[in-house]
Amino acid sequence: MSPIPLSVIGGFLGAGKTTLLNHLLATAGKRYGVLVNDFGAINVDTALIAARDGDTIALTNGCVCCAMGDDLGAGLERLAGRDPAPEHVIVEASGVSDPWRIAQLALIEPGFSLEPLVVMVDAAAFLGQLTDRWTGDTVARQLGFAELVVLNKADLAGDLAPVRAAVHRLRPEARVIVAAQGVVDPEVLHFVPPPRPTPSRFVADAPAHGFMTQVWRPAGSLDRARLRAALEALPRSVLRLKGFCRLAPDGTSHLLQYAAERWAFTPQAGEPGFVLIGTPEMPDATATAALFGPTEAA
Amino acid sequence: MPQTVRVFTARRILTMNTSIPVATHVAVREGRVLGVGGTELLHEFGPVERDDRYAGKVLMPGFVEGHGHAVDGLVWRNPYVGFYPRRDPAGVWVEGLKSIEAVIARLQAVERGLADPAAAVVAWGFDPIFFGGRRMTAADLDRVSATRMVMVGHVSGHIQNVNTTVLERCGFSRDSNLDGLVRNGDGDLTGELQGPAVMGRASRVVGDAGILRAIDAPALWDYARIASRVGVTTSTDLANGLNPENVAALQEATLSEGFPLRLVPAMRQRDYGLEEGIARITELKRMSNPKLHFGLVKITVDGSIQGFTARLRWPGYHNGAPNGLWYVAPEELGAIVEAYHRAGHHIHLHTNGDEASELATEMVGRAIAAHPRPDHRHTLQHCQMADAAIFRRMASFGMCVNLFANHIWYWGEQHRALTMGPSRAQRLDACASALAAAVPMAIHSDVPVTPLDPLFTAWCAVNRLTPEGRVLGAAERISVTQALHAITMGAAYTLKMDHLIGSIDIGKHADFAVLEQDPYDVPAGALKDIGVAGTVVGGVPTAG
Repeated sequence: MSPIPLSVIGGFLGAGKTTLLNHLLATAGKRYGVLVNDFGAINVDTALIAARDGDTIALTNGCVCCAMGDDLGAGLERLAGRDPAPEHVIVEASGVSDPWRIAQLALIEPGFSLEPLVVMVDAAAFLGQLTDRWTGDTVARQLGFAELVVLNKADLAGDLAPVRAAVHRLRPEARVIVAAQGVVDPEVLHFVPPPRPTPSRFVADAPAHGFMTQVWRPAGSLDRARLRAALEALPRSVLRLKGFCRLAPDGTSHLLQYAAERWAFTPQAGEPGFVLIGTPEMPDATATAALFGPTEAA
Repeated sequence: MPQTVRVFTARRILTMNTSIPVATHVAVREGRVLGVGGTELLHEFGPVERDDRYAGKVLMPGFVEGHGHAVDGLVWRNPYVGFYPRRDPAGVWVEGLKSIEAVIARLQAVERGLADPAAAVVAWGFDPIFFGGRRMTAADLDRVSATRMVMVGHVSGHIQNVNTTVLERCGFSRDSNLDGLVRNGDGDLTGELQGPAVMGRASRVVGDAGILRAIDAPALWDYARIASRVGVTTSTDLANGLNPENVAALQEATLSEGFPLRLVPAMRQRDYGLEEGIARITELKRMSNPKLHFGLVKITVDGSIQGFTARLRWPGYHNGAPNGLWYVAPEELGAIVEAYHRAGHHIHLHTNGDEASELATEMVGRAIAAHPRPDHRHTLQHCQMADAAIFRRMASFGMCVNLFANHIWYWGEQHRALTMGPSRAQRLDACASALAAAVPMAIHSDVPVTPLDPLFTAWCAVNRLTPEGRVLGAAERISVTQALHAITMGAAYTLKMDHLIGSIDIGKHADFAVLEQDPYDVPAGALKDIGVAGTVVGGVPTAG
């Protein structure tokens, strides 16, 4: 069974996280499973509600929305256990939490694959929040590991250039997209957009947000210590690395998930090969191979 | 036909009642105080039943714990492995463990007693700060069991230690490089887990969430037994989700015959949407009974100082740690405070760091300016680092404070060395500054974070001693009279129950703490050593 894509959406109070979720749920083209922080704010058309049971709402379009509660892992387990399982899980971080702390857990949560860490920004209020004596450091911290920054409420913001500059200063590696009323193309939630059933030659295949991807296949088993050292040496322009490899000495297959200086490898069978995702500044394939190789004979 | 009048005699009665501060006799009828005075009480009310059981004792109003957690009655279902000796619900002193070896030995004994081979060993109350920097490791806990899951919670609530079995079942290994997994110099996991993310996963895997389990009526009875032994007749439960199951347990316990404690649960605000929460607390107020008082709403603003999650003003943490976390966004706090204030409710705000206290004070001030309401008694809980200026501002808004005096003893040295530094730590739980600014004040234990024992809490506020023998902030020491007020009338005032409890006064509940000695007859340094023989609740003597 292929892992369920998992998105974590952070951002300060008022940035539009709930609006984005409401929009996604109402226009869903697939079965979303959503864990929300503020369950009461979920506002979908009553005609769309199939069932409501305590802290869970099931929609007629197959989506389901649950209150997160205190234990993220338990919430994820509950969603993954539904029949049918969601095709994409979205976790809404609270308006004051550091979404990166939440996203890290997905690296070890079996059955999930972590998509770009999305942080929403109220473009009209952001500069004021950053200089506010009470909120400045919290807002800056939330951007610290963002991979996709949504400049929301752009229609209310006037000149976006200073907002972009502030985001760039806090997190130069993040891709930035502009939105109004929380409306984003659901495809931007993925590093690699899912293949279209009928590709049209009128639609560009490259995702709009400009993440680069690269594939590297180890020829044989990797040395654990060497691999750790390579991961530690990865530049910040490499946002993600995931895939399978065999580890010496016994050649057991492991799943490796890396994100922003944090990683986990867990024993799991799979075709060896890493996908690296990063900014346009990430090292090229030769540099990557030099960093991880040479490999031992299998 | 009026009920019988019973007159209790005592060596001395310190009433905390300003009209009759000292007495020897107290008359009780229908669970309430009918008269306070001397031998004349034996004749004032016609025929009376004289009760001399406390003739050699000193009576005070039953102590009021303004910030406790009834979960203390539940944690004892697991073994205690703390540094300090502590009394269990049966009244048995459990020895404090002075080394990691001693902790392991206790856990090994627990393990030997488990019949089910799959059962986990889960302990609580661990506190390694006096072990000279030695931390517990997974290898230590593997000696308890290499096959069972072993998990030890720290008394602060912010850290857990687990054995290798738990690490493996969580999928935590040397190759999971995540925040919150502590490593040794070689990069191996030590088995120490920090923060809710990794701790939550371990608790779920162990299948025993420890203090996160729901509190049932037997646990409330155990908490009441613990309270009676230290003279407490009213305690908050700060906070409680107050869902129907929680309320049913509270009602079952408080309505049962002879339940020896008045409980004042605060509704945990973050469990509810705004309108939903206001509707719930309004509904709950109608469900009170004489031993169960609903009405408080608790809002948590920041984290803890020793966990480096409290919000501090300049110059921040002494050791350079980044500022802590808001548990609620500042503007959202303003909206929540305004809504509950406007609806006429009574708000208690958890603020550990001074920036959190400053923010909460500001937001309460704005709510009051927009919707003036006298006598709201909104209270800052912990409020550990507030300075004189914050207290003056709180006084101007009519706010109350409940300071965490026990911290001075339990974490004072840590605050001096790591979190605040020697000079700022002087104003930790600044009781004298609060009183000088005329802020109505209580002091508390935050049980089970520190043990429930108001005389100990009073001792902390009066002496401000640390385990190193240092006086932390001599100028913030308060008098015995002020401290005794804080654990009776002071706390009752912050709960809006000063007309019912907190002093021995006519018309109020006949709730007494029975002491072996008069606190004024012992040196201030011996306040904590005064024996408590039990309590009287609603005129009914309870076992000590």
